[in-house]
Amino acid sequence: MALKFPSVDFFRELARRMNADRATFEKLGFCDAVMGVRVLGKAPHLYALTFEVYDCTEVRELGDASEAELDFTLQAPAELWREMLESIRQHGQPAPQYTLNSLSHIGDRMQVVYEDPEGHDKLYRFMATIQAYFDNARDLEIEWA
Amino acid sequence: MSYYGTNDYSYNSDFALRVRDMKKGNLDLGWLDQARERFEVRPRDPRRGLEVSDCEVGPYAIDAMPEVIRDNRGITPRGAILPVSYQPDLGPTLNRKTDVWAYRVQRYWEEAVSRQWNVSTDVPWQDLAKYDIPLELEIAFCQLCTLLSEVEMIATDLPAKWSHHMNSYFQEVKGFISSQCLDEARHSEVFRKRALANGVGLLKASVRSEHALKGILEADSYSEGSVFLHVLGEGFILTLFRSSEFISPTPVEQRMFQLVMQDEARHVSYGLQHLKYLMDNAPEHRAQINLFLDEAEKLLTGLFNSEQLEAMIVLGGKGTKPENIRRGVEAVGAFQGKQILEYFQRCERAGLPERRDRSPLLELQHQMIAALQAAQA
Ligand SMILES: [Fe+2]
Repeated sequence: MALKFPSVDFFRELARRMNADRATFEKLGFCDAVMGVRVLGKAPHLYALTFEVYDCTEVRELGDASEAELDFTLQAPAELWREMLESIRQHGQPAPQYTLNSLSHIGDRMQVVYEDPEGHDKLYRFMATIQAYFDNARDLEIEWA
Repeated sequence: MSYYGTNDYSYNSDFALRVRDMKKGNLDLGWLDQARERFEVRPRDPRRGLEVSDCEVGPYAIDAMPEVIRDNRGITPRGAILPVSYQPDLGPTLNRKTDVWAYRVQRYWEEAVSRQWNVSTDVPWQDLAKYDIPLELEIAFCQLCTLLSEVEMIATDLPAKWSHHMNSYFQEVKGFISSQCLDEARHSEVFRKRALANGVGLLKASVRSEHALKGILEADSYSEGSVFLHVLGEGFILTLFRSSEFISPTPVEQRMFQLVMQDEARHVSYGLQHLKYLMDNAPEHRAQINLFLDEAEKLLTGLFNSEQLEAMIVLGGKGTKPENIRRGVEAVGAFQGKQILEYFQRCERAGLPERRDRSPLLELQHQMIAALQAAQA
């Protein structure tokens, strides 16, 4: 069954896959961060993903960033999120220009929004875990909103 | 042998007599009376196990220590009963908490231990054979690996050099910087292995870079060494790693940079939080740190040497044809500008916003912008 992107169900499915794959995520180590995902477009959405220890423990949609204590938010237009997810689906992992690191660094196509610098650092300290969470979309059937 | 001790313990006759007594079962057991106040220590979060911060109780907590440690001159663990007399003086020179401490250092230590990885098995080396990398790109990449392997050696040596100067009561900092030694040794290893893995091998070492690196190792105080290594040097290298994932010839290097980048970011976080702790609690050091950085930032420009720059341009533009080089110059210019910008942001966060106005890097930034504009014209 296809999952709609963006949607709470989509991110919950990635969380379910993460929590089921102990071997990968225990190997990557502790990851403690609350991450915002903002999808810009005609109908913008903001999601809060809570990572604790080896799991993604909570996924919820926010009306406003102030509704959660976000360490950092990755913000990009819906088309760019789609290109990134398509790249993951095509190769099993993103092409170098579509990793979260490259997107938020080279040409700043994806913005990193943060208030607390310590929160911002977490994006880099936990990058492999966060990327692996998104790479769980590799064989997901996605219905684009 | 340079230390003979004040006693020859092998001929201490009192002790020899006591041992004979003990063997007959005559124990003194006086030390049992030293039983101490008990504290409940258990994992606050069982998923994490028993963490360093769970052990911050009573006399064992860092907060129970005075700002300056005067009584422990040896290697007594924090909270243990200090020997009343004859403790050898191991000469710790970093005895004030602000000399070494960083906000959240306990968390960084746990994170470091939990996020270790293995160069031999966590990088998919076997996949290299699947890709046909043009020779000039492979050579450029090996030149970059040579510099990085060199840089990482100093990053291993700096924390190792300072650990035994730290008072043993600052165990969390000693633990964290030990984890950094291992991280950096692993980084040196991964770049060495990558240079060798496709047959080209290590290329030209850099005299300019080694002078810059000597400046880190020879810093007069731990805080100066830390601000140079963790905030300035590793900050620049972190931006370079972030860019290198993008210019990786294959997913093998992509993985390699993703893993080193996480370690590097942790070291930068520690350095930032140490600098911030120092500025918040011992602001009298501000002038000295600024003077030091005036020189350190000049030295750092030694990290930009022509082989490394050209290699990055070739990798960034994916070749040596004029259009590749033009693209490469643009990519490298953008990332170097970002290195300087991010460094100023970090200084600001740590409480040194004045770097933005007095840094010798500003001149370099202007030169780079001008060069970039010329290349684009
Ligand atoms: Fe490193």
